Amino acid sequence: MTWTAVARKDFEDAIRSRWVAGLSALFVLLVSAAAYLVRPAPGQTISSNQILNSLFVRDALVTTLVPLLALIVAYNAVVGERESGSLKLLLSLPHSRADVVFGKVAGRAGAIAAPIAVGFLLPAAILLVVPAVNFDVLSYVGYTLLTAVLGVVFVSIAVGFSTAASSSRRAVAGAIGIYFLFVPLWGAVRFPLQLYLGMGGGPSWLPLTGQQVLRMLRLINPTGSFKIVSNAFLQGSLYTGGSVNMQVSATLMLLVWILVPPLLGLLWFQEADL
Amino acid sequence: MAAIELDGVTKRFGDVTAVSDLDLTVPEGEVFGFLGPNGAGKSTTINMLLDFVRPTDGEIRVLGLDAGRESVAVRRRTGVLPEGYDVYHRLTGRKHVEFAMRSKEVDGDPDAILERVGIADAADRKAGDYSKGMRQRLTLGMALVGDPDLLILDEPSSGLDPGGAREMRDIVRTEADRGATVFFSSHVLGQVEAVCDRVGIMREGELVAEDSINGLRDAVEGGETLVITVDAASEDDLEAVRALDGVSNAATDGGTVTVTCDADTKTAVIGALEDAGVSVKDFQTEETSLEDLFIAYTEGEEVTA
Repeated sequence: MTWTAVARKDFEDAIRSRWVAGLSALFVLLVSAAAYLVRPAPGQTISSNQILNSLFVRDALVTTLVPLLALIVAYNAVVGERESGSLKLLLSLPHSRADVVFGKVAGRAGAIAAPIAVGFLLPAAILLVVPAVNFDVLSYVGYTLLTAVLGVVFVSIAVGFSTAASSSRRAVAGAIGIYFLFVPLWGAVRFPLQLYLGMGGGPSWLPLTGQQVLRMLRLINPTGSFKIVSNAFLQGSLYTGGSVNMQVSATLMLLVWILVPPLLGLLWFQEADL
Repeated sequence: MAAIELDGVTKRFGDVTAVSDLDLTVPEGEVFGFLGPNGAGKSTTINMLLDFVRPTDGEIRVLGLDAGRESVAVRRRTGVLPEGYDVYHRLTGRKHVEFAMRSKEVDGDPDAILERVGIADAADRKAGDYSKGMRQRLTLGMALVGDPDLLILDEPSSGLDPGGAREMRDIVRTEADRGATVFFSSHVLGQVEAVCDRVGIMREGELVAEDSINGLRDAVEGGETLVITVDAASEDDLEAVRALDGVSNAATDGGTVTVTCDADTKTAVIGALEDAGVSVKDFQTEETSLEDLFIAYTEGEEVTA
């Protein structure tokens, strides 16, 4: 098992890309802006959790931007090396193809987690000194980690495509398709669908109620699962209060998204001629 | 034990047959030159040894291991300079060698490796700024990490200047002296002659010759070309020469006579010409060059001059 060597090499390589430096700066800027915009009314205090769970941070920054940037960081992971020829250098060394794929997932996971960590933790300094903000360290660090997990999910999806695609154009197309499906498209149909299913609509051949279908769709979408877990976490009720089943399912779903796409890509990659 | 063993190996890409029913054995400790023009199937064969591509048919064993199922174990003991590779542009030369060391799970001094392949002064530069020759040296350095039992070098001298090519040959020889088996491909004959114990020549996916350099030379033809300067010679004068044992070809343009013959027939050739009344002013012999040999095998022409 030499995937750790691949992961380290890949992280060192990816971290030197201009993308990663740019993303770190972008995150710092956006989280700082959020910290500035989501201000308490005069004379009141708010918790840092409220800032994180605000529309600006949660919906705009985390669940819209993070998936996109993770896909950008990772879509070229394998197919890029295949096209340049460095994959031959990589596989001249004693790595199995599984080592390559999972080493890539780990390396690029680091490459998206690093800007997320920097982007959240630097602005934390601002929040710490603003007197009207009640800074909850544990929640803040936890939320940063959860955001990194969301990034890793999309890294995994992108590496899966990157492993199976025969050209980087196809890998990009796959990554963009997934993003479009889970973020803007889902965002657009979610509300009408909610209304329709809530009013008793839905396929009658399914032994499920409209509400159940809706919940399933939310779970399948990694950004949906992320929101279920992160909301519960910020409310301090993760795996304890509210709908525990839903939270456990959502956590498992995120894990499935991390493992399954690279495995599917590997199935194809195992058989491929370089 | 054989370091490399191919048995009835065929590789087809769609309806193109790149390698056809190839049998080849390279014993341990040998330096084997794998020759042939571009497109003859050399790289495809090497790629199959490394499990980059899978054979359509046949069996491949490298270092006694199955080249497909046990490829990681094969590559743990093999140093490779692949064809059509690229380096990691954002990483320095030293990082590359460190990566090779971690991948092969060996300890060592990356700088010593870089020193050996002559790019120690560029250790901290990004490999993206390296020239083609420096990249070739870097990749050779990565191949040498961990003192492999087998070195597989695909066109190792491409991109190197003559000095670099000589250093490459020196490294090959040093590795062979250490006991490593070296398998390298080339379409340049000069490198092969100097370092190989044995060569194999590929042509259109098939191995058309496999022998030592001397053995191949004997196999092609007589071995020497005798160029004789005369006062005047005609076709008739050559009859006696052609009749001699050991002469395979004789021709003249009037002023010179060119004879392809065995080395020990030279005196008889000159005697026969003088007997025919031709006065010999000067003569010289040329060995049939490897270039001629190579062309003879790869293009199927007879070696004459």
